[in-house]
Amino acid sequence: MTGYIVRRTLQMVPTVGGVILITFVLFNVVGGSPAAMTLGKHVSPQLLEEFDEQRGFNKPLIWGWWAVTRAHPDAFFPEDPGLWRDHLADVGRGAEDAGYLAVGPGELRIPLAFSLRPGTRYRWIMEFGHPPRSRIGLIMRNAVPQGVSSAEPGSTGQLVRLAVRGRKTVVDFTVTGKDPSFVLRIEGRESLRSIRLRRRMPHPWDSQLFFYLRQLCPVIFLRERDESGRGGVRLKWKGIDLGYSYSTNQRVSRMLLDGLVPSLTLTIPIFIGGLICGVLAALLCAYFRDTMLDRLFVVLSVALMSINYLVWIVGGQYLLGYRLGWFPVWGYESWSYLLLPVIIGILRGLGADIRFYRTVMLDEMYRDYVRTAEAKGVSRPGILFRHVLKNAMIPIITTTVIAIPFLYTGSLLLESFFGIPGLGYMGVNAINSSDVDVVRALVLIGSVMYVLANLLTDVCYALVDPRVRLR
Amino acid sequence: MSMREKDIREANMSLWRDAWRRLKARRSAAACLLVVGAYALLALYGEGVYWYYYLRDETPPYNRVNLEAQYLPPSVFRAPFRMPAGAASPEGWRMHLVRLRFGLRNLLRHPLGTDGLGRDVLQRTIQGARIAFQVGIVTSLIAIPIGLVLGLIAGYFGGRVDDVIVWLYSTFASIPGLLFILAVAMVVGRGLTGVYLGIGLTTWVGLCRLIRGEVIKHRGRPYVEAARALGFGHVRIMFRHILPNVFHIVLVTFTLRFPAAVNTEVIMSFLGIGVQGEPSWGIMISNARLRLWHGIWWELAAATVAIFGIVLAFNLLGDALRDALDPRLRTGRT
Repeated sequence: MTGYIVRRTLQMVPTVGGVILITFVLFNVVGGSPAAMTLGKHVSPQLLEEFDEQRGFNKPLIWGWWAVTRAHPDAFFPEDPGLWRDHLADVGRGAEDAGYLAVGPGELRIPLAFSLRPGTRYRWIMEFGHPPRSRIGLIMRNAVPQGVSSAEPGSTGQLVRLAVRGRKTVVDFTVTGKDPSFVLRIEGRESLRSIRLRRRMPHPWDSQLFFYLRQLCPVIFLRERDESGRGGVRLKWKGIDLGYSYSTNQRVSRMLLDGLVPSLTLTIPIFIGGLICGVLAALLCAYFRDTMLDRLFVVLSVALMSINYLVWIVGGQYLLGYRLGWFPVWGYESWSYLLLPVIIGILRGLGADIRFYRTVMLDEMYRDYVRTAEAKGVSRPGILFRHVLKNAMIPIITTTVIAIPFLYTGSLLLESFFGIPGLGYMGVNAINSSDVDVVRALVLIGSVMYVLANLLTDVCYALVDPRVRLR
Repeated sequence: MSMREKDIREANMSLWRDAWRRLKARRSAAACLLVVGAYALLALYGEGVYWYYYLRDETPPYNRVNLEAQYLPPSVFRAPFRMPAGAASPEGWRMHLVRLRFGLRNLLRHPLGTDGLGRDVLQRTIQGARIAFQVGIVTSLIAIPIGLVLGLIAGYFGGRVDDVIVWLYSTFASIPGLLFILAVAMVVGRGLTGVYLGIGLTTWVGLCRLIRGEVIKHRGRPYVEAARALGFGHVRIMFRHILPNVFHIVLVTFTLRFPAAVNTEVIMSFLGIGVQGEPSWGIMISNARLRLWHGIWWELAAATVAIFGIVLAFNLLGDALRDALDPRLRTGRT
């Protein structure tokens, strides 16, 4: 049995890893930095960069030495001039120089959105429209070029002669002081196709993926060295970091804990009430099978299934809450506020439940043991409650246990329409305000709970049925 | 015709002909098919209206604001039908009849009333059908090929390939459904594209699982072995030989997925991350929700009834199809 549990637990690992991978692909690869979405369009690039820095969005995706920086977004003159918008008049439109920025002879200051970080290595990558025929230099202030031999001190900074290979030139430099500036000195008339700035990462694995994994990893590895030089690795517990919500300025883990209780107070009654109502109705169906009542229940369940969730909520709020005034419509102050959402939640799920439970019960009704019990003279209710119900509960419990993890997200719609400050309400708000960290945390935790519930079901099954263990 | 003859005829029938016969025999299923067809025609009409006004670069009638006709109730509840107060006298009756005769033309306008901006509810409901069909079809076109191909490959090849695909779908299955759809839509961006991708990329799992299970059963069948012995390639065996034998699952899944997609679209549009600027049923409900408090019920009612009709028809049709196509999947024994 222990072996089975261990094996089954190990099977969880790839699934959880897959979920982490999917959230990474969804939010980092497809989504990209949500900075502009969350902060709004008219925010300084520096704030956006700080946002990215905090969440690791300014790192390479998976592996790489060079990262993009918002200090100088890639200027590709045929399409997007980036910060070079003032120079748009010089972008050629002829056949020869279409989309190229005409430069020189003279000096041209490279625009930067904000100051580069001192002590960091950067790289300019410039591409010309045609192989340049004249000498091209870059005057740097507060920055030291790297690997360039012919640097000469000038009055406004160091002049670096750029070595152009074909159409491209690359120059690396380290920022030494505050507010470095860069001026292009071009002796002839040339055309620029693109200018890009890259920031060098301290480590190529310092990427978004590993930033994310490090956030999720609950321990950190500290490498310690004593005086004798012997090293050791110490584990330190730091907890799982689920990020930081921008819209509420709170840690996501804090928000999850706060929202859990209201969610559970809503979903647990719905869960239990729905189970009881569904099983009772299915028992009625099984007892009165092939009569008008059974058929009525079947029709009713299909009809219940076909009503949209929204209609349940809006209609329930209007009729029971507003028109009849039986329940409060909005808020989370006492238990009476929960009554209406619970009723709506139960009603909504009832259709599908009745149908499924009824099928299960009727399947059982035709088994041999039922015939034996009948022959033995057990009364019909006796058969139903003592024999059929027990056997039918196995598939019913399995499907309901699988639904348990979804209890924690609460009900996205119910909570936001009844103003219950649970996780579902939080989720809808986060989606509306593009709060990536919150949504990601909800998806992640929901999936992990699902996997755990699956494990629980399987272990319970194995406890009951020895055949499962041997497979 | 003797019983035996009938048996022989049934045995000679192909699966699809047999299924069609069973479907027709069930009167409720035939009615559902009619309802679905009617909705499809309405959706097509809506599509035509949309393109007509789009190409002429005019505001379509369902978006035309007419502040003089705000909150007009459905015509049955409008003046000529409804007796004015104190009209119970014979004179009043005659006046009423006269007004009824002259008012009929007026009644044909806005038969289901108008909303707060004087836009015709009937036209908007038809446009909602158009959006619903678009969503149902496009999401199926995304989800079904993914589920089908992955399921076929997993079931046919087994081994490592199977492990990877099972891992992929169990990972997708473990993410909470609606939240995942909303997250995808949030990342992709508001609008119909978000709805398509959100629903399409998350709902292929069920189909994939069913197809895989079924293909595993077929893999060892003699006809597959015969095809292999004849030297046919894997792709040909999968798509020409096995696929037709498991295709009924696709059909059943489609009919059961369609209403789910419609419902999800309604919820997404309601939450404001669905359709933008077009009248979808979700947007109608969202608009009508607050007006309901002032007694303006018809907009909500139109959208509700429309959703209910199509979802009910598809649900019943899906059950009937399942019963007709796959005897083992039959719901209940009645």
